[in-house]
Amino acid sequence: MANLSFLFAAYTAIWVLLFLYVANIARRNRALQREIDELREFLRRQSASGSPTNQPGS
Amino acid sequence: MTRRFGDWALGALTGITMLAAIAMVFLYVPTDKAQGIVQRIFYFHVPAAIMTFVAFGLVALASAMFLWRGTRFWDRLAHSAAEVGMLFCTLVLVTGPIWARPIWGTWWTWDARLTTTLILWLIYAAYLMLREFAGNVDQAARYAAVLGIVGSVDIPIINRAVYWWRTIHPAVLITREGGSGLGDPRMQATLLVSFVAFAALLGWLLWVRNETARLQDEVERLHQQLIAEHIPG
Amino acid sequence: MLALLWKDLQIEFRTKETLASLLMLGLLTLLILSFAFDPMSELRAEAAPAVLWVAVIFAGVLGINRSFLTERENECLQGLLLCPVDRGSIYLAKVAGNVIFMVAAQAIVGPIFVFFFNLPLTWAVARLVPIVLLGLIGFAAVGTLFAAISVRTRAREIMLPLLLLPLVVPVLIGGVKASARVLAGKPLSDVDQWLNLLLGFDALFLVVGWLVFEYAVEE
Repeated sequence: MANLSFLFAAYTAIWVLLFLYVANIARRNRALQREIDELREFLRRQSASGSPTNQPGS
Repeated sequence: MTRRFGDWALGALTGITMLAAIAMVFLYVPTDKAQGIVQRIFYFHVPAAIMTFVAFGLVALASAMFLWRGTRFWDRLAHSAAEVGMLFCTLVLVTGPIWARPIWGTWWTWDARLTTTLILWLIYAAYLMLREFAGNVDQAARYAAVLGIVGSVDIPIINRAVYWWRTIHPAVLITREGGSGLGDPRMQATLLVSFVAFAALLGWLLWVRNETARLQDEVERLHQQLIAEHIPG
Repeated sequence: MLALLWKDLQIEFRTKETLASLLMLGLLTLLILSFAFDPMSELRAEAAPAVLWVAVIFAGVLGINRSFLTERENECLQGLLLCPVDRGSIYLAKVAGNVIFMVAAQAIVGPIFVFFFNLPLTWAVARLVPIVLLGLIGFAAVGTLFAAISVRTRAREIMLPLLLLPLVVPVLIGGVKASARVLAGKPLSDVDQWLNLLLGFDALFLVVGWLVFEYAVEE
């Protein structure tokens, strides 16, 4: 039963790595979505205020 | 929104199949007579290895399609497949030695398959670094595609070369027991379920990672739009 | 294509940069490796093929990098791309050029290698020549392609080894294995498996490189 520690180590490693990766993806996606929302908001405000630097009908 | 649905559906599928696989590995399958309890690592190690190569095949395919068609879709797919593939490759290289140590008394064996997987890992790493260090997004996509294609053509050759390298040379071990020792149908069933679980996992990870790529493209597009609208003339 | 090759050779005759780099790097690697292996021990002879190929590959990676770095600095490639020349031909010309440079460098490093390792001057040593030649061709085929790519990235110096070394493992394995047998006195027919590996590798990657080179140099 001494080999149980190896079995445990292997499966723990798998889950830790998977979890870390999924968490990383989730974090990245959230951050990117936030950035997209901010950029869209910024662009919307720009075109709504009709600032002079805007090209008409862009 | 299909995307949200995809996240949850694929995630749930993965969760369920994984749970089934774990249950079978720990509660159902009999212990291997020769290797003892450690052998159960096999049921996750092998599907992970298969998925690594499936992912790399996808990188190769997407790379070729990208060079041919030039659409963002293929490049995003290639990048996602490479990142996810690298994860699976890491899993193989971590579980392999952990399995090998109690069985053969050594952490690393220059076994043909494990060595090829190591080289594949290095190629994956080179791929991701190339994307990181290339000048701009278009260049990154193109160069990575070239590497994807060359790499995929090379892998079978590397595999052959390493295999010949091992078998002609007296070695600690020649081949690793693959599926050859699976007489018991319960073992076969467990492996099959595990395989399905890992396939689901691959699908889910590709889906969510592809979302990341899509979001990155969107950010890029919005930045371009921002620049376009604020440069006069 | 021959015109392109001639152009590269002409440039080299004038500056001798690439050749000098390859030569010096080859000698230095050889020297350092000789120190790594105890000069008195029997191990020397067994380590010979390994040392040879490490020297070849090390020098090769840095040498090929060099040749493209110079190109980039002088914007030669941009000029070349403006001509209506088939990209594949440019690639083949570059590969040929690199092979010639590496062979020239090896022609000097090789005898010194034999000298350092006290190898008997029998046919065994002569048989190394085709093996090394096949290895260099394969190495240049993949190396030229990826040198063109890495020279345009931010991490120029490390990108090429990073990309190249995993990919040329078959050349290394084939080369070392074949060299070892041949140095042990076996005839070339004994190593035909390895020679076929090298030959196949060379043919395959010359074709692949020829096909995809345009994607590597598009601006």
